[in-house]
Amino acid sequence: MRIIKKIHRTFKLHRIFIKQDLKRLMEYKVDFLTGAVGMLLAQAINLFFLSVIFSQIPSLNGYTFEQIIFIYGFALLPKAIDHLFFDNLWSIGYFIIRKGDFDKYLTRPVSTLFAVTVEKFQVDAFGELIVGITFLCVSIPQIDISINFINILLFIIAVLFSTFIYTGIKLITSSIAFWTKRSGHVMYMFYMVNEFAKYPTTIYNKVVASIITYIIPFAFTAFFPASYFLVGGNPLFNIGGTIVMAAALMALGIFVWNKGVSAYESAGS
Amino acid sequence: MGKILRIYKPFTHAGFLLAAQYRINFVFFVLGDILRCFITFFLWHAVFTSGGATTFMGFSETDMTVYIFISFLTGAVAYSDGSYIVGEEIRDGNIAMRMIKPIRFETALMFQELGERTISAVMIFIPLAAGVEIYKFVVTGTLGFNIWFFLLYLVSLVLSYLINFYFNICYGYSAFVLKNLWGSNLLKECIVSFLSGAIVPLAFMPAGLGFVLNLLPFASLTYIPVMIYLGMYDVPTILMSFGLQIFWLVFFIFLQRIIWSACVRRMSVQGG
Repeated sequence: MRIIKKIHRTFKLHRIFIKQDLKRLMEYKVDFLTGAVGMLLAQAINLFFLSVIFSQIPSLNGYTFEQIIFIYGFALLPKAIDHLFFDNLWSIGYFIIRKGDFDKYLTRPVSTLFAVTVEKFQVDAFGELIVGITFLCVSIPQIDISINFINILLFIIAVLFSTFIYTGIKLITSSIAFWTKRSGHVMYMFYMVNEFAKYPTTIYNKVVASIITYIIPFAFTAFFPASYFLVGGNPLFNIGGTIVMAAALMALGIFVWNKGVSAYESAGS
Repeated sequence: MGKILRIYKPFTHAGFLLAAQYRINFVFFVLGDILRCFITFFLWHAVFTSGGATTFMGFSETDMTVYIFISFLTGAVAYSDGSYIVGEEIRDGNIAMRMIKPIRFETALMFQELGERTISAVMIFIPLAAGVEIYKFVVTGTLGFNIWFFLLYLVSLVLSYLINFYFNICYGYSAFVLKNLWGSNLLKECIVSFLSGAIVPLAFMPAGLGFVLNLLPFASLTYIPVMIYLGMYDVPTILMSFGLQIFWLVFFIFLQRIIWSACVRRMSVQGG
């Protein structure tokens, strides 16, 4: 019973914080809408870029246009969900620790990690989410994917754990700021590797492919799980690998975070 | 001229110090952004392997690779913070302080950026340009470096920066109306990167659209300098392109002055 109460309280807190954050956003309504249009346009331009390529060649390394769109759409989902809920980690890397603002989270009766992440509900992420879902909906009828209970379940699992790969990597790199005061730029460099996930890993050379599979495993956020649905490859590696990588990164992330919180010394001024 | 230099030189010095202070951050950001070039590089490599043809709409694989990296380089060197800085100053009201000083706002900003650009140019321009030339030598087996095209590229690059600077200042003034520029800056970056040929070379666009885009100011930012670097333009085309770049530069300088004098009269500061 106590655990259910605790979960209930967590969700309630989350709702209150989201409401609060939406109020902040409404201050600059037009600005927000313009930004959302910009995000949608950026994806439309990428789509145009791909269609230019496919106007000249029938398939890319054996993948058709629709299959590439499927992988691309899949890649956007975990990215968007992470963006929606865990965006405040960027502020940790850039200024919360440097300015000594982390003090306020230490005084709260919830875990520091929860208190930090719940503070921002990044609505921009809906742009990526909408585009990702659209890409999937457009591509799925064109390719041979059997829609059944097991596949839907595996899909949800894959997206969920892919999200934690993003969050885990952000957690580890933002925690560095507890020691160095500022790690936003390191975060940015690691985070940008996610762009590799949008295309089949087979187009890259061995070095790049190994890095995005084993070291900064963004390949598990899109290409591997997506290729299970596309060609029915080894689920143990494609989906299982996603789960293992996500669990490992999150465990390491939480460990580094907790170490960092105890190493945290507030700002001098 | 000497007087102008004496007045504005401290701004250059300040910009130089500022960039030197944040040089490590800058390196990480550039590394993050360069990853995108490599993704595009691998994507095009796969396109050429899958397609089997040696050229794609007139571009060989080597041309395409040079295009990807030099367009990135051009964008990075010709980058201007103008619209963010102007937007922020309008939002927090500091713009009022600028108005009472006996110096031109935009000139001071440009001299400051001049200092910052020097650092970034040294740190990324030399390694990247050298890398591209070495790549060309390894792939083609001949020394393809043409000093004349390179010098013409540098002239075009300087014009590209100046156009970008004044365009961004004009854009930043929209904060007088919009108050917050986060969203519109995002939209601007997205549109500019597309129209300037930074994502897809304008030569790949449908003929009619491509012709119009070539005349718009955005082509002057990336596409024209890169095509000159690639040696794809003959002398008359290069001269015409310089003419176009100078036209847009003059256009934005005057537009900037007009907007500024119109906005100063009806300014309201939000107060932070």
